[in-house]
Amino acid sequence: MIDPTLKAAAGASLETVVNKALEYDPATRSRLRALAGKSLGVDIRELGLSLCFHFDTEGVRISHLEDDDFEPSTRLCGSLPGLVMLATSEKVNLADSNVEAWGNTALLADIKSIAKELELDWEEAINDWLGDIAGHSLAQRLRGQLGWLRRRGETGRRLLSEFLTEEFRAVPSGPEIKHFNEQVDQLRLAADRLGARFERLKQKITQR
Amino acid sequence: MNDKKTTHFGYQQVPVEEKAGKVAEVFHSVAAKYDIMNDLMSGGIHRLWKRFTIELSGVRRGHKVLDIAGGTGDLSYKFSRIVGPEGLVVLADINESMLRVGRDRLTDRGVSGNLVVSQADAQYLPFPDNTFDCITIAFGLRNVTDKDLALRSMLRVLKPGGRLLVLEFSKPRNELLSKAYDTYSFRVLPFMGKLVTNDADSYSYLAESIRMHPDQHTLKQMMENAGFANVDYHDMTGGIVALHKGIKP
Repeated sequence: MIDPTLKAAAGASLETVVNKALEYDPATRSRLRALAGKSLGVDIRELGLSLCFHFDTEGVRISHLEDDDFEPSTRLCGSLPGLVMLATSEKVNLADSNVEAWGNTALLADIKSIAKELELDWEEAINDWLGDIAGHSLAQRLRGQLGWLRRRGETGRRLLSEFLTEEFRAVPSGPEIKHFNEQVDQLRLAADRLGARFERLKQKITQR
Repeated sequence: MNDKKTTHFGYQQVPVEEKAGKVAEVFHSVAAKYDIMNDLMSGGIHRLWKRFTIELSGVRRGHKVLDIAGGTGDLSYKFSRIVGPEGLVVLADINESMLRVGRDRLTDRGVSGNLVVSQADAQYLPFPDNTFDCITIAFGLRNVTDKDLALRSMLRVLKPGGRLLVLEFSKPRNELLSKAYDTYSFRVLPFMGKLVTNDADSYSYLAESIRMHPDQHTLKQMMENAGFANVDYHDMTGGIVALHKGIKP
């Protein structure tokens, strides 16, 4: 069993990081204030860890769900990959995510919508650390590097995709998959119709 | 024959009526630098112990919380944020100097509206029956003259279903850790006390009072005897500190 001191240390560190980051995005911080009084519980199955994010007017407070009587406004339970997927993907619905939810699920949609607009002023964070002149110069350099990496990444992804689908023919292309899916759907419909006709025919024969 | 009732003050035996005065002297002496010393002595870990106490408290918006021996207000500060404007936190301490430091600190941090300060003896809490949803006493119970009386007093002012949390030094589980802890407490602590507060005696008392405090199991039984239900405890940092929780039936 993990010593509670370590658990408290992990919670305190996470809380500090989250609230420090929010200091560099006042708009998100102010949007989160609208959630004051609500809480989101997260149970991570593999780790046997239950965390609770309490929203209040001063930011986010993170605790372990040690208190059995306490029921957060919304509670999520799932595998770590499922929860990460839910947190990072665009969609809000839980279909195929291997995550279960209880309580006020509207809170989930609110949090997703706030997180979508999250925009940390990381240049301000660097300025606080290095000073305005050195910070701005480093930020510009980083911005240039990141832009280059992003462009390279996009080009690389496109080239790899073309090579695998067009040249190497290792995987089908998007339109091929779409066409295949449509054919499967048509087959399913035709099979359903055939089943229905067969049933009707069987009933007629039995009635005679 | 002298049949005066005595109690322990560190390793000394003193008349029962003198203990509170002696403890008060210790805390008058250390009040101004209490926070710095706490951080130095525990390497900042006392904040994590208190954090876990808050996590286990189950306190939420609108609750009434009593922070006994609240000293410089670490727990009260966090509780005042959790209970919100519709709740109430009472920062109580028997020692005027500690209370003054705590009150000033909380005022400086902008806490107002849902916090009141009360100079109170844990043995005779000046509150009506069934008042609080939660009571905490962090690093205070070992300084109380009659612990059983204090526990009964806490039970009285708790609401049914309310919980008491006692955060206190305890007995390390591991023999090696226990030896290292003894060396640290009896050699390093008084030296640090001398260096920072120019008061080695108060910190020798601290180490001695910890050794005289009941261990985890004994304190659990004391809470059960006082009338608490579902009493349980969590060892922290190898048992150097333990957090006991009991519910008023």
